Amino acid sequence: MRFLDLLTMSVNNLRRRKLRTALTVLGVIIGVASVVIMVSLGIGLNALMLEQYASYGDMTTISIYSDSYYGGSSGDSEPNYLTDEVLGQFERLDHVTAVSPMLSTYVIMKQGIYEANVNIVGVSREYLKRIPLGQGQVPEEGDEMKLIYGNWIIQRFSNSKTGEGYWDTGELADIDYMNKPMFVIFDTSAYYQSQGGGENQTKPPKKYMINAAGVVEGGIDDYNSYAYSVYTDIDALKTQLRQIYKKNPIPDQPTNKKGKPYPYFIYEQAVVFVDEMSNVTDVQQTLIDMGYQADSQMQWIEQSQQTYDVIQLVLGGIGAISLFVAAIGIANTMMMSIYERTKEIGVIKVLGCDMGNIRNMFLIESGFIGFMGGVIGLIISFTVSYVMNNYLGIGQIMMGIEGDISRIPLWLAASAIGFAILVGMVAGFFPSLRAMRLSPLAAIRNE
Amino acid sequence: MAEGLKIPDIGGKSPQGERMPIIQVKNLYKVYRVGETKVYALGGVDFTMYRGEFCAIVGPSGSGKSTLLNMLAGLEKPTKGEIVIDRVHIEKMKENELVAFRRQKVGFIFQSYNLLKTLNAVENVALPLSFRGMPRRKRNEIAKKYLKLVGLEKQMNHMANAMSGGQQQRVGIARALAVNPKIIFADEPTGNLDSKTTMEILKLMRRIVREQNQTLVMVTHDNHLASYADRQFHIVDGKIFKIEECHHEEEEGKCEAFL
Repeated sequence: MRFLDLLTMSVNNLRRRKLRTALTVLGVIIGVASVVIMVSLGIGLNALMLEQYASYGDMTTISIYSDSYYGGSSGDSEPNYLTDEVLGQFERLDHVTAVSPMLSTYVIMKQGIYEANVNIVGVSREYLKRIPLGQGQVPEEGDEMKLIYGNWIIQRFSNSKTGEGYWDTGELADIDYMNKPMFVIFDTSAYYQSQGGGENQTKPPKKYMINAAGVVEGGIDDYNSYAYSVYTDIDALKTQLRQIYKKNPIPDQPTNKKGKPYPYFIYEQAVVFVDEMSNVTDVQQTLIDMGYQADSQMQWIEQSQQTYDVIQLVLGGIGAISLFVAAIGIANTMMMSIYERTKEIGVIKVLGCDMGNIRNMFLIESGFIGFMGGVIGLIISFTVSYVMNNYLGIGQIMMGIEGDISRIPLWLAASAIGFAILVGMVAGFFPSLRAMRLSPLAAIRNE
Repeated sequence: MAEGLKIPDIGGKSPQGERMPIIQVKNLYKVYRVGETKVYALGGVDFTMYRGEFCAIVGPSGSGKSTLLNMLAGLEKPTKGEIVIDRVHIEKMKENELVAFRRQKVGFIFQSYNLLKTLNAVENVALPLSFRGMPRRKRNEIAKKYLKLVGLEKQMNHMANAMSGGQQQRVGIARALAVNPKIIFADEPTGNLDSKTTMEILKLMRRIVREQNQTLVMVTHDNHLASYADRQFHIVDGKIFKIEECHHEEEEGKCEAFL
């Protein structure tokens, strides 16, 4: 028998018993809606939590430090500095998409009457591309050194004449990153010596005019993890530093046991980018095993996530009970329908309807009840979810942050309907076997 | 397809001019156990029915005629004996094989019509064809053809319970014929009809099976109705008591007894 014919027969049979079908479907609607709403709340809570963490910083990045850099406990063994070679090893780890060194150097910046002490961080191009820019763009590869300013940097500038800054006056310095030149003094110790006055006054170090490439998006009230640094391309920064210090040791670079600088750069910190959140913990553990300190947002998230998993399970379980009751309802309806149709089933069996077709006819019927319940239940779920998100402000009450408390992702919607059909068919399975095995003789008996 | 060997279709006769057996029954027993006692519904029945024949199984109620029909149609299993239909033994078949056998070779006419109430006349006639997986358009065409044949051109789209008994049974006949079966079983087909309609239905059945060279096996308790058949198998207490042959070319009712 063709599937379409089977479907038509099944649907016709359901239409014949409209009220009973409607009541059975109602059970499924309530079951599906409660499961979907409960699970959507679980998902919403979890997502709100993640959003909260995400606002603190990127969740797929791991920050790495080396104890040795700070004169840590390497003992007699070679210090495990973060060098380009080590970063190359990190990059070859599974799930690592990119690695960026972080080479920071303290500088003094001047524009007009304003000046500030600022940390310039040299990072890789991958890192630069991740910074959300409000103005300008990431410098081209191989470009001269250009700076990307964090959105809070402007607060650091103070008036060099009065010595008063933003924290004293409450007024932001009149700085134009993009259009006015910014002078940067790298050799700060030489600068302070030259300012010292007295006998041993030296010639002030050279000032470099460095252009801005962009500014991180957001104002001074908007927090993000890039707000309080100035970023630049690591290669450009290295070139610049080598040019300034020539053969002299670069400040903040560690020295070997003889007190000589290393012929390569040693980074205070590095950042590892991981492909997915779920792999962050594994990568982090690998890095720790390699002897480095590693930090990520994930370690905090995982704990909360476990809590939310339990919440979700409990909520889903409550919903599942009503779906289970609905399944019993379906089984009952199907059983009744088979008793009523004993004769009809016998007739079609005498007329040569395949036993498998008879079974499928009833399975489709119960599956269709599940399907209708699933679709209507889902519509109701979306409505309830919309109302909860937009009119009740439950998210605000429970989590204290803005956001949707109930979320129905596509997979939940699709699996809700799929599951409703499955529940219908499972509930209808034994009744349908019974129908299949009914004796055709019932049809011949004349009442 | 559970169809047996194809045999040349020459008016139900073999090339030698002999009649082709379609149903062969050998030493058939059906025993019911009622508590301690055994009840012989059928106690050793042997006969052969041929292609193109109109056979009547006649007997009083409780004689075992319905049991015999059920076993011929594969609805009940015999206790002992052989049933060969169109060269295939059906007594050993499993239930799903029997269903397939009926789907391919058998048409059925019921006493209480047994039309599906949710379907109209055309859909009812087309129903057994849908079990064969025939597409809707094609099977509805065939259904309409047979509804015309039984004289229901005007009632094609009527729902089953909006028709009179006679009309419903005509739909039932069309349904049995639509699958173009080798054999049509009819269990008291006129049992619920008045005498005038009974005659019409009976003549209709006889005319059509003769035209189409099909075998019609009808069970009845009414000797008069049975006399419309080519051969009458009289059955009493589970045994065949006599077989009469009638020649309807002459006047009706002149039958000669064989046993």
